Amino acid sequence: MSEFKVLLVDDETDFVETLVKRLRKRKLDVRAASSGQQALDMLSESPSDVVVLDVKMPDMDGIETLRRIKKIAPGVEVVMLTGHANVEVAMQGMELGAFDYLMKPIDIDDLLYKLQDAFKKKSYVDIDKQ
Amino acid sequence: MIKLPKFLKRMIFRGHSGPEDPSSVQGLRDAFAHRYHNFKLLLTANNKALEIMTDLEKALEGSRPFGMSFVRSHCTAVSVNVFRIIKHLDELAPGKYRELYDSFKQIQDNINSSLACKKTFGGSKLVVPLSEVTRDLLDEVGAKMANVATIKNEIGLPTPDGFVISARGYERFVTHNDLQAEIDRRIQATNTEGIDDLFRLSADLQNLILAANLPEDLETEILEAYNKLERAHGQRIRVSTRSSALGEDSSGTSFAGQFRSILNVGKESVIDSYKDIVASKYSLPAITYRLNRGIPDEDVAMCVGCMVMVNAEAGGVMYSCNPLNVRDNSILINSVWGLPKAVVDGSIDPDLFIISSQEPFDIIKKSIREKKHEFVCFPEEGVCRDDVTGEKSGAPSISESQARDLAKMSKTLEDYYGGPQDIEWAIDQQGSIFILQCRPLQEVELPPCNVQIDELNDGEYVILAAGGQTAAPGVAYGPVYIVKNDVDKLKFVPGSVLVTAQALPRWAPMLGSAAAVITEIGGITGHLGNVSREFSVPAIFGLSGATEKFQSGQEITVDADNRRVYLGKVDSLIEMKTTRKNLMAGSPVFEILEKVTRHIVPLNLLDPDSHEFHPRKCETLHDITRFCHEKSVHEMFNFGKEHRFSERSSKQLVCDVPMQWWLINLDDGFKQDVEGKFIHIDNIDSIPMLALWEGITAVPWEGPPPVDAKGFMSVLMQATSNPALDPSMRSAYSARNYFMISKNFCSLSSRFGFHFSTIEALVGERASENYVRFTFKGGAADFARRRLRALFVGEILESFNFEVEIREDSAFARAEGFDAENMREKLRILGYMIIHTRQLDMVMTNNSSVIKYKTKILDEINGKVIVNNNHLQ
Repeated sequence: MSEFKVLLVDDETDFVETLVKRLRKRKLDVRAASSGQQALDMLSESPSDVVVLDVKMPDMDGIETLRRIKKIAPGVEVVMLTGHANVEVAMQGMELGAFDYLMKPIDIDDLLYKLQDAFKKKSYVDIDKQ
Repeated sequence: MIKLPKFLKRMIFRGHSGPEDPSSVQGLRDAFAHRYHNFKLLLTANNKALEIMTDLEKALEGSRPFGMSFVRSHCTAVSVNVFRIIKHLDELAPGKYRELYDSFKQIQDNINSSLACKKTFGGSKLVVPLSEVTRDLLDEVGAKMANVATIKNEIGLPTPDGFVISARGYERFVTHNDLQAEIDRRIQATNTEGIDDLFRLSADLQNLILAANLPEDLETEILEAYNKLERAHGQRIRVSTRSSALGEDSSGTSFAGQFRSILNVGKESVIDSYKDIVASKYSLPAITYRLNRGIPDEDVAMCVGCMVMVNAEAGGVMYSCNPLNVRDNSILINSVWGLPKAVVDGSIDPDLFIISSQEPFDIIKKSIREKKHEFVCFPEEGVCRDDVTGEKSGAPSISESQARDLAKMSKTLEDYYGGPQDIEWAIDQQGSIFILQCRPLQEVELPPCNVQIDELNDGEYVILAAGGQTAAPGVAYGPVYIVKNDVDKLKFVPGSVLVTAQALPRWAPMLGSAAAVITEIGGITGHLGNVSREFSVPAIFGLSGATEKFQSGQEITVDADNRRVYLGKVDSLIEMKTTRKNLMAGSPVFEILEKVTRHIVPLNLLDPDSHEFHPRKCETLHDITRFCHEKSVHEMFNFGKEHRFSERSSKQLVCDVPMQWWLINLDDGFKQDVEGKFIHIDNIDSIPMLALWEGITAVPWEGPPPVDAKGFMSVLMQATSNPALDPSMRSAYSARNYFMISKNFCSLSSRFGFHFSTIEALVGERASENYVRFTFKGGAADFARRRLRALFVGEILESFNFEVEIREDSAFARAEGFDAENMREKLRILGYMIIHTRQLDMVMTNNSSVIKYKTKILDEINGKVIVNNNHLQ
């Protein structure tokens, strides 16, 4: 699988730091944002292929961030990753076009597979549009 | 929604029939790859959804504890995966099954309403004076404080004055800081099976609460209530602060010793004490207790009672009848010098009085112990443990007349509440008795008969120790595990006998997994005794020198009824052992799980050929997965078969096996793309298909087994009377042996005469996504023989670590999560099985031939199928 760009969005900095390290070891091009607004700013500066998005964040929550990401970069696949197990919020995210809704704790390889699947899907959609 | 790729559209809708445009061939390949990717994602989601449903079904057996976070996260995950399945199917066949979204929405609503279990708390006051509390306010102030108020206001026995910070106050505190969402999040992210993870979780959650601030109005009201209490007393006071959780002390759940009580607190510390007690909702004992008893976190609102501190000369606990024997109604009193804390903690051996329950309350037994310590109030704040020296330590902590006065009060309380009571009391420096709390006594049913000690041959078993008191009845066997500190606690080995010096409440988290408990000191009226009775863990307390007498790892049998400990396993005693209570079944969390899984787990759509097999008929998430899986396979198959892209059209397999096999390449199943109608086996690049093929060809089939006359008649009868066996009734798809393949995927539906089987497998680098599913049904003989054959097939597959289920005459087998090599072996076995179990239904009632065939099959699998994995044509 070719290298692709991932943006992690989570206000839990410890969690993000570890995850960035571990995903980089798995040869992904990873950067991190600690809030929804920062994520949107980063995405408009330079694109990412897949966004990993937390649900519970202060100020702009994950669902609102997802809504805005889909507006400014509809091609980006978004994987929600959260400790917030709530059926209704999960369905809201899925209906807004999230690729998946995963719950912490998650096995790093399972997360990697998800990101690969999401990227692959994005690639096909990109081909289709050409 | 994604539109059909335009290359594909051109091919299909324009009826493009000329030679393939080379520039569009690559586009078509990509479009197919996209389609296949969707299909694969659907299969992965399907598999994940089924896995979660299996977890939910296992939880429904009720043998393992789980909390609301388990229920919520599983419901969320299964919903998400089923939604993905629908979405992927919609991309395979745009708009065709749109009604699935409606059925899904309906099921979601049902799931959400089953999960919405939040209790609402009564009342509007944040702080309530005890003088205003009546029994009706139970859901405002918690049972403990409602009882204390009742004792004072209605029964007229002396209790300290005070006030309660109510459930509404608790709610105010928790919502002010949005604590609950953060708490749920952290519980969710923790693996609750490991005690060390729980330990960390407990510490984190308590810190979270301690760091939160009280809303201003709540803090003001608490301090005002304190001032008022002080004014009413006309002098400076100190208070005791005690938990009074909602749901605590209700029938069947004791919550014993889980929450903090803080004694001798001054005004400047009352707010911190309040937070401390609220935080103790997440003490390790409390978390494990709720988990084991299936009590949702949200149901436990922590009310806190503040009562004027009694500076006790003596104190203790009394039971209005014997907790170990419902037929014995004599009153039991444990007492110590100073505060009753030492009895509750189990940290010293208390004096024991057993008193007749009738006037004039004769003292039946009096046992005065050496009480080396006492807990007393510091003048400023807090309590300390003082040494008791000289005559005082061996002197009775209460007089006989005080014991009789206490017994009389206990009788009054039992009469009022209409059942045995567990009462904490204290006597102040002036000799006045105060009731501090009162709750229903946990009683234990004794086993109907006990093995008499004399029946055991003394020479046969070695008695390691005898004595102490029965804190919870029963017999148990296990290795000794000596616990001295919290580190030992974290390493506790489930199934061990917990041996420890003091009967401290903080050992309670181990009781969920301990075989038995032995302590050197501690009264049976303490918290640990309560919990061991509640969890039916046999317990002997007060067995002196226990931590010296036993060695860690030594295997012992604990006979708590007769207060003896034997070396090794005493089978005759263990046979009497009563089974553990199943505490999950009937608990609130369990009930929620039962309710919500009704919309998830049951499968109503069984027959894909029935007109009931329709999106509108999907009543559960399982129905949706079943429907979507069936349709996705059809969509993939028909699409491959009907469009005009020759690379992807169905081809016949060229091989040496005298059977016809057809094949569709979904994506990258061939080494080289071929046009035309044939594909050679050497050109196949599908990992699962090749493994299957190795199994199919491993051993040549010897033809149908020799059949006795009855078996043959059975076939004839079925063939004429069962229309389902008429080959023309089946759809074209199942009429031949069809493979659908890609590099990592293979689905085979095969039909040999009346025998149908399907195999679906995904085998790749991602072990966690690997799976193989197998169904096998039909046959030509009568139902009984067909069922026997299904059982026969199931039994063999089970011995090779498949998970097997038999329904009527069908066998279902699955294996998942193994690495590629292991999955390939499983596929070889299945390939062999579909060839060699054909027509065995006919011989199934003949016992000797069943054994013969079973031996032959096992020999061949072990000898030729598993070992010889290079057997590829």
